Amino acid sequence: MQPYELSLTAASDAIRSRRLSPVELVESVLARVDQVEPQLGAYVAVTADRARRAARAAEHEVAHGRYRGPLHGVPMGLKDLIDIAGTPTTASSRVRAGHRARADSTVAARLADAGAVLVGKTHTHEFAYGLTTPQTRNARAHDRIAGGSSGGSAVAVASGTATFALGTDTGGSIRVPAALNGVVGLKPTYGLVPRHGVTSLSWSLDHVGPITRTVEDAATVLTALAGHDPRDPASLDVPAADYRPADDPDLTGLRIGLPRTHYFDHVDPEVESAVRHAVGHLEALGARLVEVDVPMTRYLQATQWGLMVPEATAYHERTLRTVPELYQADVRVLLEAGELLTAGDYLRAQRSRTLMRQEWARLWETVDVIAAPAVPLTAVRAGEETVTWPDGTTEGVSDALVRLSAPANITGVPALTVPAGQDAADLPIGLQLLGRPLGEHTLLRVGHAFERTRPTPAPTPAA
Amino acid sequence: MSTAGLTPPEAARWAALAGLPLAADRHTAVATTANHIRSVVAVLRELDFEDTPPAAAYRAEGGGRRAAV
Repeated sequence: MQPYELSLTAASDAIRSRRLSPVELVESVLARVDQVEPQLGAYVAVTADRARRAARAAEHEVAHGRYRGPLHGVPMGLKDLIDIAGTPTTASSRVRAGHRARADSTVAARLADAGAVLVGKTHTHEFAYGLTTPQTRNARAHDRIAGGSSGGSAVAVASGTATFALGTDTGGSIRVPAALNGVVGLKPTYGLVPRHGVTSLSWSLDHVGPITRTVEDAATVLTALAGHDPRDPASLDVPAADYRPADDPDLTGLRIGLPRTHYFDHVDPEVESAVRHAVGHLEALGARLVEVDVPMTRYLQATQWGLMVPEATAYHERTLRTVPELYQADVRVLLEAGELLTAGDYLRAQRSRTLMRQEWARLWETVDVIAAPAVPLTAVRAGEETVTWPDGTTEGVSDALVRLSAPANITGVPALTVPAGQDAADLPIGLQLLGRPLGEHTLLRVGHAFERTRPTPAPTPAA
Repeated sequence: MSTAGLTPPEAARWAALAGLPLAADRHTAVATTANHIRSVVAVLRELDFEDTPPAAAYRAEGGGRRAAV
């Protein structure tokens, strides 16, 4: 096994015990970048020289007894919405030409303090406003979409060009590409990870979180990221915690909600089969299944759009007037159309969110975790814009990809996607687990227990 | 306020009122997209909100030690 193939946890153990040096690990990952990045397009920019300097410094520290913790010397990719002082944050957009971040984002600073090594900035669907990331190809099948908007991060982790990565999630943008590329994605509780220095799509829906190869890896990154920062007005003042799950796979007594509504409607049969099979594993580990009805499903898309569309347009107010021609066509028209929503539309969405949160709070009185598909279908071919379901209805691909993600963005609950098999075309399927607000410990325990029933994933071979 | 679809000239007029002048070649595309978005969010008019306040800023876990502002 090459160092680039190691999970974060395995690489970290090897560095701590000095069986592997950060220089060896980073060189292995950079060689992998040279090998597969031309076909995949996961990165906006690879900062190889910076990575090598950081790796040498990390190696020097380990050799002199200064071990920073489990991210020490571990190579990462950061979605190019995340500021790093002195470097451009392009948002994968021509609008940001000439941009240079003045300071580190909170998450970049925390990861640097933890000793992580930046490999580069990864592609996003322009300004995170889309679900495909057209610059990037799916790690498993190059003619398929990467998913988005954190497509570059997911493909980098899946292909071995980053040991872990960060994404952002406003309507599924961590979970969707993670599921479509066969890796783990965690959208934490709203406010748990500070967003200071991260380009916003929609302030009241945006989250930052890890994309990794294992649930344990995601927990390790979350431990470094979480914690109050008053510069993000939504940041929660919760005590620091170690989110890494214990190895005990026993789920006895845990109540897992299996939705009767919404999450299995218009879902590809192979996806449904894999997810129900995964739920069977959870039951075999001792969990008790409880059927639940998801509340207010008729209003999910309306609430998501009623919040996101006006907020995104507001963020881009200035540049939409000065350089509209620099946006991609799909993003430009959404931003322009957002000007035509009213304050009444926005307030109805806000009030609907209040009702939805209240209804979901009642749901959490009956279950500890909800299990569902992450996305209703596996990665479609690039350029496909609609999906036709067996009952003859047609749905936009982006609408389908957001549909099962939006509830966790609207209500702010944590949600995790874990690989749960593949379809007949060998395309990955994701099991989505949702938890109570600030229920990351339970969520990660369940996810870790599930993944221990399956073989440890390795990076996708070069196609 | 009507939820009926906007014609391209109406979309351009609304955008102008919002401070966004649109070139003529943008009117139809913006009207089409805006009408689709407006038709999706219009379903929220069915809800009786009574005294429900907006969740302009919120804590996912409700209540708590400090307000999010």
